[in-house]
Amino acid sequence: MAIQSMQTAELVEKQAATANEGVVIHLPLGLLGFEQVHWYNLWALPGEAPFLWLRRRDDCSLGFLLISPFEHVSHYRPDVHQDDVAYLKLNSPSDALVLNIVTLQGNGKATVNLKGPLIINRHTRIGKQVVPRNAADYSVQHPLPVAT
Amino acid sequence: MLILTRKAGESIVIDGRIVITISRIEGDVVKVGIDAPAAVPVHRREVYDEIQTSNEAALTTGQPAVPKLDRSAASPAATPP
Repeated sequence: MAIQSMQTAELVEKQAATANEGVVIHLPLGLLGFEQVHWYNLWALPGEAPFLWLRRRDDCSLGFLLISPFEHVSHYRPDVHQDDVAYLKLNSPSDALVLNIVTLQGNGKATVNLKGPLIINRHTRIGKQVVPRNAADYSVQHPLPVAT
Repeated sequence: MLILTRKAGESIVIDGRIVITISRIEGDVVKVGIDAPAAVPVHRREVYDEIQTSNEAALTTGQPAVPKLDRSAASPAATPP
């Protein structure tokens, strides 16, 4: 399933901004390298759009900065394996919230991992860090256009 | 490490639920089929390592400042030749 939704994470973003503890996200398989951590909160902080925070529920000082990629990276079209589509119970591309992990590189620069997007079912709030079929086309350190 | 010798078409069963089949051998390339439950992620090693390293580098502590993005400049996703 090719996912290229320009539709932002609006609903979830709004809830992540207003709900007391953000939106609870369940990653039953964890993130690669963090397989034992299954529960996170998704937060949107004022003035930080388009970034979101994925913070561990058991220690909210630890987390990952995320971004909805499509507005900031053109021609990004992750082709998600049918096995992952079935695992996440995605009936259509619009069920999928696509968020990519950002690395703050210091000196004000930031890169985004396009090779291992986090795909979340908007309805179940269950997600998985997937490796799309066309992952070889993308970088784990794609530079974000930082304003100078 | 356990080393097993297999021919094309032969399989290995792990934990009664994961079946690895040597599908085809062509020169120095081996095609391997893997049947595993959906809850068992399977990755090419080098891709797994690359994403794991990236995730570890991306882990933040506390509340770092986020950069401001230039909204007029979407950068095209890199496509290697």
